[in-house]
Order: sequence, then C-alpha cells, then structure tokens
Amino acid sequence: MIAVEGVVKRFGAHTVLDGVSLTVAPGEVVTILGSSGSGKSTLIRCVNGLETLDGGRISVDGLDVADPRQLAQARRLSATVFQLFNLYPHMTVLRNLTLAPELVLKRPKAEVEGQARALLASVGLAGKANSYPGQLSGGQRQRVGICRALAMNPRYLLLDEVTSALDPEMTAEVLAILGRLATQGTTMLFVTHEVEFARRISTRIVFLDQGRLIVDLPTDQFFAVDGGLAHPRIHQFLSKMAPSSTAPAAPVAEMPA
Amino acid sequence: MRHAGFTWHDGALLAQGLGVSLGLFVGTFLIGLVLGSAAAVVRHFRVPALGALLHTALELLRNSPVLVQLFLVFFGVPALIHQPLTPVFAAGLTLSANTAAFVYFIAVAGLDAVGREQVEAARAFGLSRAQLVRHILGPQAAAFAVAPLVGLAVNQLQVTSLVSVIGVIDLTKAGDILNLRTLRPFAVWAIVGALYFAAAKTLTLLGNRWERRLRAHAPPLGL
Repeated sequence: MIAVEGVVKRFGAHTVLDGVSLTVAPGEVVTILGSSGSGKSTLIRCVNGLETLDGGRISVDGLDVADPRQLAQARRLSATVFQLFNLYPHMTVLRNLTLAPELVLKRPKAEVEGQARALLASVGLAGKANSYPGQLSGGQRQRVGICRALAMNPRYLLLDEVTSALDPEMTAEVLAILGRLATQGTTMLFVTHEVEFARRISTRIVFLDQGRLIVDLPTDQFFAVDGGLAHPRIHQFLSKMAPSSTAPAAPVAEMPA
Repeated sequence: MRHAGFTWHDGALLAQGLGVSLGLFVGTFLIGLVLGSAAAVVRHFRVPALGALLHTALELLRNSPVLVQLFLVFFGVPALIHQPLTPVFAAGLTLSANTAAFVYFIAVAGLDAVGREQVEAARAFGLSRAQLVRHILGPQAAAFAVAPLVGLAVNQLQVTSLVSVIGVIDLTKAGDILNLRTLRPFAVWAIVGALYFAAAKTLTLLGNRWERRLRAHAPPLGL
C-alpha cells in the first residue's frame, strides 16, 4: 500500500502540497485530478523520492521514502512513467527497458531481455527494439516509457500526466494500453487531465486544489450530482475540462476572436 | 673539430625527442583526464568542502601560465622540501595537474549538459550514483566533451615543448641541441615543427573518429 500522510511540500515561500493524505491499496487505480499547478505532479515526485518532503510522511509497503535506505527499497516496488517520457537517448529502446531491471533488481540479462521484447511486442513495438528514442514518435516513446516501467515488475505504477505531451491520436494509443493494464489489475496512481478516461478505469478519484486534497471518493460517487459534483470547485473544473459531459461546447466559428 | 652537417644520428636524436614528447603527453593527458573527470563528478554531486577546494585549486591552475607552474614545481618545491626533483618528474607532475584543470572545466560543462529529466528517471528507477555516472551521465557527458577534449589534447601536446627549458630532452630540446651544432636553424626548426604538426594532426584525426562514434546517437548540440 502507498500511504501518504499529511504531506507538505514547499518551493520557497510557495506551498505546493498542504497536508495531503491518501492511500493506494493493491489493485486500485487512484486518479488524481486538479488544474495545472494544483500539486498533482509534485505528489507523484514525492512518492518516488524525486522531491524531499517538508512535512508529513510517505510510505510504500511500510518503507519510509524519507529514509535513503528505505527509499532505495521502495523504488524497487514502484515504477514511474513521465510526462516527457524521460528516456535515455543514448541507449536503444531495448536497453532503456533492461537497464534498471539488470542493475537495480540484479535480474539475469537473458530473462530481462526476453521480458522486454515481449512487452514491446504487446504494445506494437516489436520492431523497434534496436531503435533509439530519437527515431520514434511521441506516442511510441511513451509506449516505451510504459514498457520501461513494466519491466521492473512494479507493484505500483506511477503515471505523471503521461499523455499531456501527445496529440489526440497518440494519446489514444497510450490510453488503450493503460486501459488494458487497469483491467489486468495493475495498481496505479494516475495523474491526468483525461477526465473521461479516468472515469472509465479508476476505482477512486481524488481532487487536488491549490495543494489541498478536497475530495477522495469512489469514481461513481465523484461524478454523482450529490457527490463530488456538489463541490463548486469540482463542478467548475469538470465543466471546463469535459464540456461534452455537461454543456455543449460552442463551435469554433462562434467563439469570440 | 665541429661536425656541422646532418648525420643519421640526428634522426635518432629527433626520434628519441619525439618519443619523450609523445610519452610525456600521453601519460600526463591520461592522468589529467582521470583526475579532472573525477573532480568534475565530485563537483556535480555537490560534495561539500571537497568540491569547493578542488574547484579553487583547479581554477588557479587553469588561470596561470604553464611555464610559471613548471618553474614553481621544478625550482620552488625542492627549495621547500630540501629534495631535488628530476626534470621528467617535475614535468609530469605539472602537466598532469595542468591538464586536469582544463579537463575539469570541460567535464563539468559536459555533465551539466546531460538532460536533468533522464537523470531523474534513472534515480526514480533506483540506480545508484555510481550507476548513474557509469551508464547515464558518463557516456553522454563524454559525447558532449569529446570535441573540446580533442582541442585540449592538441594544445597540451604542444605545451609539452615547454619542459625543454627545465632540461627534459624532448623534441624541442633535441631540436635545440641539433641547432647549436649545425647552426642551421631554419632547417632544424622546420623539421621539428613538421614533426609536432604530424603528431597533432594524427591526434585530431583519431579524435574526430572517436567523436563520430560517441555522438552517433547523442542529441544534437546547440539549438
């Protein structure tokens, strides 16, 4: 279980996370919604230890991420997929996948390579094993990013706005893979702006607003009129994020210039 | 009786001098490469005290003439420790430290040029600092640094000529000896110059080949 308890994170005078608490139990898909700057990505970065905490505690299966030794252990349990892919540009796609399993998990090279090739095949990239990240499209790079995370056999998949840098077509490619992972029971902490998709795959949705977690509800209750939608901030957010679900959007021609 | 003409023995003298110059260059450049890169890694991980100390020392070395450093080591250090240094030892020490200073600044820039986001990915995936340097930072920093390093190597090869003034019989000193005997400075220094040129040109060609290999899949430089 990932347990976030009263986490505070400041950048200078700016408080990005202000006492956030949430849990992700095995098998759950927990989606974090919120506008840009609400602290969603920072929360993911706190869980994988890329940011240090200014207050509170985060543990992954009981391992405290503030302790360097426990963090090293915790990082073997979770794997992150990044918004801008963050692939290693000087390594082949295959090496991007096998590096951490070999070096960190000390798994045998042949076994890791076999798994990596199978993962690439499962996302339609079987022919790209020996390509370099610079030779791939954004959607392909993010599929590699997902495979790189899955090659760690993680208990928890941390997804940080993984489709924000992609066009709609590429977004669809990536979401299809994530949807499949969700139905297979992969545990995910999912930061996204894809509200409709989150609604389909999430067990719970939490809403962050200016660093504070204002709602943590099962998905159906989050979208219920007397549930999350009753909260004015969430209603405002959803009506802007997914106009089709609440009010019809104005055609482009009618929009004021 | 003076032998003013060139003899076969002169060729051997020049070849020996060239060997000393090349040996001194290769040895001190490799030592400088290792020390300078190690110092850059220390700086990159912001090791307290040690990082600042190394930075100051290497800054001093980079910003003072090699000849002055050579005199300081060859004449100054023996006065301090009451123990003479051999010219070759003093030359090796000075050139290694001086090369390390220039390598340090090139390596620091190379390490800084590696994208922060991949470093974060590697850390999030649990790579240790040593693994990070070995697999992520090192190869990419090397690709960024190879062009300035080749330039530095060509320069340091030529800087070895300064050690002739403290009595090391390198290529320049061999030329000097030959010149004093034959009194044909134009011919002697043209030959010595051509030998330096040939060595430096070979170095550049090797460096360019190495660069092409390292940069084969690196992101393009600049904008």
